[in-house]
This record gives sequence, structure tokens and C-alpha cells, in this order.
Amino acid sequence: MEDLLEQTIHGLTLGSMYAMVATGLALMFGVVRLVNFAHGEFFMLGAYTFWFAFQELGLPYPVAGLVAAAAMAAFGGVYQRTIIRAILERSWHVQLIATLATSIVLTNLAVIVFGTQAKEVPTRLSATVFQAGGLRIAWQRLLVLGASVVIFAALHWFVKRTKIGKAMRAMSQNREACAVVGVDVQRVALVTFALGGLLAGGAAALVTPLFNIFPDMGALLTLKAFAAVIVGGFGYVHGAIAASFIIGVSESLAAGYISYAYKDAIAFVIMIAVLLWRPQGLFGRRIGI
Amino acid sequence: MLRWSGWFVGGVALAVMPWLVGAAFPAQQRYILHILVFTGLFAALALSYDLVVGHVGSLSLAHPAFFGIGAYAAALLATRAGWPFLAGLTAALVCAGLAALLIGVPAFRLAEHSFAIGTLGFALVTHVVVTNWVEFTRGPLCVTGIPRPVIGVGALSLRITTVPHYYWLALTALALVALLYRGLTTFRLGRAFNAVRDDEALAATAGINPLKYRMLSFVIGAALAGGIGALYAHYITVLCPEELTIALTVNLLVILFLGGVGSLRGVVLGAVLFTALPEILRVAPTWRLVIYGLLLLLMVIKWPEGLDAALRRAGRRPRA
Repeated sequence: MEDLLEQTIHGLTLGSMYAMVATGLALMFGVVRLVNFAHGEFFMLGAYTFWFAFQELGLPYPVAGLVAAAAMAAFGGVYQRTIIRAILERSWHVQLIATLATSIVLTNLAVIVFGTQAKEVPTRLSATVFQAGGLRIAWQRLLVLGASVVIFAALHWFVKRTKIGKAMRAMSQNREACAVVGVDVQRVALVTFALGGLLAGGAAALVTPLFNIFPDMGALLTLKAFAAVIVGGFGYVHGAIAASFIIGVSESLAAGYISYAYKDAIAFVIMIAVLLWRPQGLFGRRIGI
Repeated sequence: MLRWSGWFVGGVALAVMPWLVGAAFPAQQRYILHILVFTGLFAALALSYDLVVGHVGSLSLAHPAFFGIGAYAAALLATRAGWPFLAGLTAALVCAGLAALLIGVPAFRLAEHSFAIGTLGFALVTHVVVTNWVEFTRGPLCVTGIPRPVIGVGALSLRITTVPHYYWLALTALALVALLYRGLTTFRLGRAFNAVRDDEALAATAGINPLKYRMLSFVIGAALAGGIGALYAHYITVLCPEELTIALTVNLLVILFLGGVGSLRGVVLGAVLFTALPEILRVAPTWRLVIYGLLLLLMVIKWPEGLDAALRRAGRRPRA
């Protein structure tokens, strides 16, 4: 019983990570109708930035975490200004291949800079364990869960209440109409990509102490986050978040009770099952996508 | 008339290439022919991929999986069950085609990006299974000792052992795939493919069922990829799970976008440049992928129609 509970909590931490990455992906798709295939690499770069700030520079954990999140927000901005700007009005083929190419370049640059050896970044919280009865959970996992609640609440406020958040929602409905009434389309896109980077960097800073980091971790993460976006219903941020947690918990339970080697296949099995049953996703309405 | 004689001279030149290379570079004959075998196989694989990407406009990322399924089917049947080469090749074609049919049913419920990611997911799952199902595929230990192909039976059998033999085999495969590609993309069928690519709704109103044509090109492309996988497995004789990674998709996309999507000449040109490039660049594989990535990015943003179209325009200008 404790075992099941432990696996579920592990799954929820995994789900938080997927949710933060998938939210960025869903926001980018919602606002600028573009799938960022390099999104997993945002997370990967965030993890290396965190490793550098925490392990190499010796900054305290919260500071190193903020540095990683801020660096990735800046990276998201630069990425929008250079690559996304050039492909924003192009066909989806061009967008997909350009972002995929970016992901390949970033992954292999990371191999050159950091090497293929996995890096570990244990913190004091990941090394100490919260105990209740037979239940043993690293404090870091509880931090991840708590922080993700705060982050998603803040995100909800940002998108619903602030002016730029409203502009993002307006743009997700009709980009041309926004341009007509004077919304700066490129600026909203810039904020969206910076926000996506912030979420990925923040997620990296939170979960990196629990997992190893290596240069090609991004590809699989992009795929799983994208699977969550599809399962949740395209463009529905809430759906993507819920689906991320479903995938995280299923993956953790499958790794614990079925087979560790095949855990990475779970997200796609869920995705294919959902698509056969509800092509519009669990929470989506039936529209052509 | 001139056109046909050009084709004829080109064909003869390609057929006698082993002797030409042997005469020009006697010391490096094996090495150069080895590169040419890869060029031929890559060109054929890229053509099979272009049937899907360039002609029905479905950006499938599952091609390495079909290539790998074919390669593993042929390798395992040859090493475990002792199947002859042609039977293994047929099995590879069938297995990859069936896999495409199975994955196509859920995947074609998705459009555009989602289709791409769904097929990429399939490619990833295939790679995970091939790596971890050690009892069946030997996983990271690789399938070793894949026999040299023997074509025909009894006294008429032809044993493919030397590099020039492989070169002719690869050339024949490329010619067959190119003929099939031409046949499939030129006549009524080809027009239906392109109609589906250019405007799905319009094609549907004209009585062309988009799903049917997409599925057809997807399955044929996958079956061809499986067959080329089988040839590849019999050529390198050691087959490892690394052959199935996303790096192969990137290579194929580079070939397509370098040469020109949807054009036979462009794709073959792309494959020739692509396989020649690393021999000239001579850098570590990681740097090579960085360069390919940047090249792909540059091509797709600046010249999305590829070199073939650029050459054609350059050739037309002076005459006009």
C-alpha cells in the first residue's frame, strides 16, 4: 500500500515536470499556432544552466533555480526574435522542420560542450527523506508538488488578469483581428516564448535534483509533452496539464509494476488509445486541427 | 532523342562505375564504391520517404522505424531461420508495409503537426522495443553474422560478396525504386496524390478520398523503406538498434530539403551531396549533426524549394 502511494507521488512529480513543459508547448501552439519541436531542449538547457549555477558556481539552491528560470526566459525571447520571427507566417512544414533542426543543433552542441556523461545535481532536499509510517518521500518531491501548484496559480492569474495575458488569449482566437486592432503580434509572441522558457527552466530547476541530466533528454520530453497536449485536446492548456499528470502517474506505476525498460512507451500507448477513442482529445471539442 | 541518349549514357556510366573508379583511383576503389553503395541506398530510401512527404504532404517521422523493421526482419530471418535473401527481402517489404498499415489507422486521425508527433512516437517506441527486447533482437548486442545475399537458385544463383557486386545491387534497387516512384507520381495516381497534398477539402469534393491516397503512399513508402533496410542489413552484416534513431529522419529531411521536395532529380541530387559532404567535411559525428541541423534550418528558411528548383531557374534564365 505504501509502495503504491510512493509510486503515485513519484508519478505526480513526474507529471508536474511534464505539465510545466506541456503548458509552454500548448501556450505557444495556442497563441502563435506553431509547434516548438525544440521545447524539450529548453528544459535540457535549463537543467545544464541550473547544474552550472548550483554545482560549478556554488550558488544557493533558490538563487540557482531562479538563474536557470531567468536564463531560459531570456533564451525563449532570443529564440523568438531570431528563428520564430522568420518562420511565423510560413507553412507548418517549414515551422516543424525549422524547430526540429534547432533541436538537433542544440542537442549536439550540448554534447560537445557538456559531454555525453550524465550529470547529477543532488541538493540537500533531494538527499533527505520525509517519513510517515512506511512512507518515504524525498523532500524535493514535495517541493516540486508545492511549487507546481503555486506556478500554475500564478500562470492562471497572468493569463486571465494581466493585459498581455489577455492579448495572448485574444491572439489565440484570431491573429489577424488582433493585428487590426493594434495588438503587437510579435511582442505577444515574444512574451509567449519567454513564458514557455521560464516554465521549462523552472521545471528543470525543480526536478533536476531528482533525475540525471544528459544532452539528449530533450527529444523524449518534447514528445511526451506533446503527447500530453494531444491527449488533453489541442490548445487547451488545462487539458494539457491534466493529461500530463495522467501520463506521469501511469508512467510511474508502469515502471514500478510492469516494466522499467518500457516506461517511455507509456505516453504513446496512452496517446494512441485516446486518439482511437476520442480523436479530439480528452478535454477538447471536436474541431479540425 | 537527345534526352534518351543522355539517359542511356548516364545509365551506362553508372553501370560501369566500378571499372571507372578502379581505373581512376586503383588504391581507393573499395572505399569510393562503399560510399557509392551508401549513396544509392540513401537515395532509394529518400525517394521512398518523398512519396509520403513530398507527394501527399504528410510529414511522417516514422520512416526510420519502417527501415529498421525491414532490416531486423531480414536480419533475424536470415540468421535464425536461415531464410534465403529474396524471401527475407520480401518478408521485410511485407512486415514494414503491415506496420505502416497498423500505425496509419490511428495516426491518420491526426493532422499536420499531430501526425508528425504521432509517427515520431511510433518510431521512438520501435527503437525502445528493439533496444530492450534482448531475447528477440539481441538489443545492444546487435544482430551479427548476417549472411551475404544469394540471388536465384541452384546453378543460376548469384552470390553477392564483393563491393562492386553490392554496388550493382544498390544501383538496381535505386533504379527500381526510382521507376516505381516515377510510375506512382506521374499518372492519374500521382495527380491524385498531389491533389490531396495541395488541398485536401477540394480533393475530397472531386471524389478523391484523401485518407485512401495518404494511406496508400504511406504503406508503399514504408514497404520500400523496409526493403532497403533489408539490403542495408545484408550489406553491413551487423545490425544495431542505433540504426533506427531520429538521426536517420534528420538525414532524410536534409536530403529532401537540400535537393528539392517532391522531385525525383532533386532527391537523388540531395542524396549524392549528402553522402559526399561528410567525406569532404571529415569531422566528428557530433559536429556533423550540428552542421546538418544548421544546414537544414538555413535551407528550409531561405530556399524551401531546394537546389533542384534553384538550378532549374538558373538554367532557364539565360535562354529567356
